[in-house]
Amino acid sequence: MSRIILEARDIRYRYPRGLEAIRGISFHVRRGEKVALVGPNGAGKSTLLLMFNGMIKPDSGTILFDNSPISYDRASLRMLRKRVGFVLQNPDRQIISPTVYQDVAFGPVNLGYPEEKVKEAVEGALARVGLTGFGRRPPHQLSGGEKKRVAIAGVLAMDPDVLVFDEPTSGLDPSGSEDIMELLEELNQQGKTVIISTHDIELAYPWADRAILLLNGKILQEDVPDVAFGNPELVRLARLSMPTLLELYLELERRGFRLPERRPRTVLDMLNVIDRAFRNKPCYTQPGTITLFDIDSLRDADISGWCAAHPGIPIGAMGTRAKQRAADEKIPLDFTYGVIDKCILKALLGEHSLIIVTGSMVGRVHERVQAFCRENQVEIPVISHSGDA
Amino acid sequence: MYEELLEDIAQQNRLREVNTCTKLTAGVGAILLCLLSASFVAPLFIGLVLTLTLLFLARVDPATYGKVFFGPLLFAGLGVGAIVLLAGGEGTFWSWQPLPWFSLSVTQASINQGIFVFSRVFGGTSALLFIAFTTPMTDLFLVMRRARLPEEVLDLAMIIYRTIFLIMDQLVQVYQAQLMRLGYRSFRESIRSFATLAGSVFIASWEAGEDLTRAMEARCYEGKFAVLGEGRPVCLPSAAAVVSFLAVSAWVVAATSHIRLV
Repeated sequence: MSRIILEARDIRYRYPRGLEAIRGISFHVRRGEKVALVGPNGAGKSTLLLMFNGMIKPDSGTILFDNSPISYDRASLRMLRKRVGFVLQNPDRQIISPTVYQDVAFGPVNLGYPEEKVKEAVEGALARVGLTGFGRRPPHQLSGGEKKRVAIAGVLAMDPDVLVFDEPTSGLDPSGSEDIMELLEELNQQGKTVIISTHDIELAYPWADRAILLLNGKILQEDVPDVAFGNPELVRLARLSMPTLLELYLELERRGFRLPERRPRTVLDMLNVIDRAFRNKPCYTQPGTITLFDIDSLRDADISGWCAAHPGIPIGAMGTRAKQRAADEKIPLDFTYGVIDKCILKALLGEHSLIIVTGSMVGRVHERVQAFCRENQVEIPVISHSGDA
Repeated sequence: MYEELLEDIAQQNRLREVNTCTKLTAGVGAILLCLLSASFVAPLFIGLVLTLTLLFLARVDPATYGKVFFGPLLFAGLGVGAIVLLAGGEGTFWSWQPLPWFSLSVTQASINQGIFVFSRVFGGTSALLFIAFTTPMTDLFLVMRRARLPEEVLDLAMIIYRTIFLIMDQLVQVYQAQLMRLGYRSFRESIRSFATLAGSVFIASWEAGEDLTRAMEARCYEGKFAVLGEGRPVCLPSAAAVVSFLAVSAWVVAATSHIRLV
């Protein structure tokens, strides 16, 4: 288990007009975790999030960052806000400057970085959110998803350890929401601790390591998502709805089917559940292979050549730079989110597939495929491409 | 919403990548030459060159350019009409005295005067629009900082620039909501609606201000507004083009100073 990075000890907070927003909350977040705070409007999600970077000071109780209590003098707050990046719900409220470059540079400049380092930080942050070349655009000309990315880049430029997102997908179209969740996943893979608040349980359910249900300023339930969302009584109390997949699973279970122990979090898991339920043992054709192109270790690999040699093969990309690379080489992508699962689904149908991937995501592909194979006693070969076509 | 429109065009024009100072030199130089000229020829020449540059090099949409140009030109037309009829002077072509103390006349001097004023407006407007259409505000900030404008003024200008678009959005939304509910049906209703529009936008901007403070606070604000990105370097072809344009225009100013239309 990794170290605890954020901890709340019996915190309480009352708004000036008398409404008690937080009524005794204790919990902790570990380094590298993905935590979703879920609850109805007015549950205290945003208030709680704003305490993590010292924007709101609790009336009683303590918040610890990196095992020491937060102190509220100016200098400490600045250091805290550098390490805990906060992305507001409405990017228009967060973007301050007249151009994208200036806005992303805002944090680094105020941290007193020299000009060269500012430039480096800005370009790095823009590349990580996939907005390279947007530097001189004014924010009002960007789409909602792009503005969100600018806001995220502005926080990433300060290189925080923890990223806090208030409703990261609100106001975005479904595809934009998926893209943002993919980006959060990628940032988490790069070692950032990510905390989000959301109503959108369908998005939070497969994504989070842990879900915290909030109601009336108190924690109702805190557990892995399939347990936290799996109790119909609590879910109803928290004015949420159960994730569709989980509901399906519970319905099947209620009908007396014998199901795998682990509850499904993705369509792939669900398919496996159904498969077990109806045939009682998985029945597969010879699985296809998944080929990986790591664009970081194979900088000048001939991806388009490989694709030309394997016409009709479904192609996915994981990671912002991998998607950028595919766009640069004009490779049409079949999958841009949930890529591993979709490729496993293909493999189970006996088809081969290709994933273009950034270095940091390679490990995840192997892990996921291996875990799936172990659980279901199948063999799906993952081939890391060596460079020559 | 011309401002928004102009700014958006300026962000996308083909001369965007040319160094800002080069463009400003061309525009401001042209305005000065228009003012120095004693004849109508030079401003017409300058206006024509800049208009053609805008249409063919910067690829500004002619219809939009025409629409924006029409306003000042209409205003100038009215003014020139008055000058021609009222200025008087030598060489009368036509005159009429409807009242004992008031007469209208068209004379050689007044026609020359009118044409001169009109061509100056034409040249000056072209130069101004040349700057407006090719240089977005975001690039001007860079020049302002180089010109040592006080930091406070510049920071404020940048925040205002950013906020204008947010409040404009709000304004349009509220206005449309009022329109949908027949808020501007009658004159009395319009006045009421306009008042509530102003009120709600005021409150919205107040809130936006508070949000801005919080956002800056959350992002480690310490009195520094971000540095600006880098400007484009001066490049020889465009600089040479501007210098030769100004030189030729100056020559036209000098050579045509005695030319009159009638």
